[in-house]
Amino acid sequence: MKNQTKLKLRIIKKTMLALEKNQQVHKVSLIDVAAELNIKPEDIYQYFQDIEEVILNEQIYINKKIENYLTKGLKISKVPDDYKQLLEGCLDLYIEILPDYANAALAASYYLPECLEERKRAKNFYMGFLRQAIRKGWPGKVKNVVDRQAELVLITIYGLYEAVSDKNISERKKITADVKNMINLHLQDRLFF
Amino acid sequence: MKKESALTDKAISNAVKLLRKSKKVEQVSLTNISNQLSVPLEELHAYFSNVEDIFLKAQKKDWEKTHRILDKKIRQSKTPGDFMGILDSFFEQMVTDLSQDADLRYEMSMYLPACHKYREKNKKRLEKKLKKVIQKGWPGKSTKVLERQSALIILIFYGFLDHIVHIDKPDRKKILRDFSNMVSLHLQDRKFF
Repeated sequence: MKNQTKLKLRIIKKTMLALEKNQQVHKVSLIDVAAELNIKPEDIYQYFQDIEEVILNEQIYINKKIENYLTKGLKISKVPDDYKQLLEGCLDLYIEILPDYANAALAASYYLPECLEERKRAKNFYMGFLRQAIRKGWPGKVKNVVDRQAELVLITIYGLYEAVSDKNISERKKITADVKNMINLHLQDRLFF
Repeated sequence: MKKESALTDKAISNAVKLLRKSKKVEQVSLTNISNQLSVPLEELHAYFSNVEDIFLKAQKKDWEKTHRILDKKIRQSKTPGDFMGILDSFFEQMVTDLSQDADLRYEMSMYLPACHKYREKNKKRLEKKLKKVIQKGWPGKSTKVLERQSALIILIFYGFLDHIVHIDKPDRKKILRDFSNMVSLHLQDRKFF
């Protein structure tokens, strides 16, 4: 990893930990973060102008990682089972890359208008992915059923995010295993009422 | 008590209005709210220590009402069918009672430390009640299954809340039926994998 990337990641981590400790965005400053990291504030300003930019960056980083995984997965998926695996793999990746301070990141994402916009954008992307994955992974559903089931799976995924954000990785895995089973049961219902 | 309740309603609706305009909660103050409401600042201070306190009191007020109704229904229920009905009416009540400005109130409950703390505490309280409802409504589940399924219902319920506060009021009802059906399908699985 390049030194610049390493520094950027250190800044993000330190900022998010400070946020976790202080609980509110306006109580954290980049000057304090620089002091904690023993670097000059200018070293931070070359990457981030303010705390809000750090938080947004962190959110985009996680979203893009999952989106890239899904985009690549969709390209190589051929049979229904591939799409099922992709959906499950995405949940595994999700809990794997969520940082320890995910709780603070989640709370802050509700505070910043830019983060809420990013959340909306990502949600639209996931909705598009889910429609495609459900249509191909659980074939034979009419469009209306695919749309309604995709929305419910999306709700479940966002519920999962909140539920695991303050848990350690082994607890996250247990919860995710149950969520996967629940989603599977839900999607096996071909006609959906 | 009545005066406090009425003032909480007015104060929260004004705080949300100001928040929608200014976008940042720190930019909303009790002084702004007292000016808008033409209520002396001292009077506001008698009930609320700060803006966070307004959001917290409004959040508590809403949830206390929900718990009162839930408790009453639990007390009156006798058969599994009665308990099954509680879940549906609980979801329906949540959707009906959500205000048009539920998005911002929800976001603040995720972000403001005191509101977030109450939210986590309330989640546990709600889970305990729902566990009882599930136990009586879908009898024959082992303790472990009951616990895992209750945790999942809480997980998807909060994902559901997060979703519906961000969509228009008429659309909230549309998704409610699908959500209730998904919950029901999940709970019909007696052994749960």
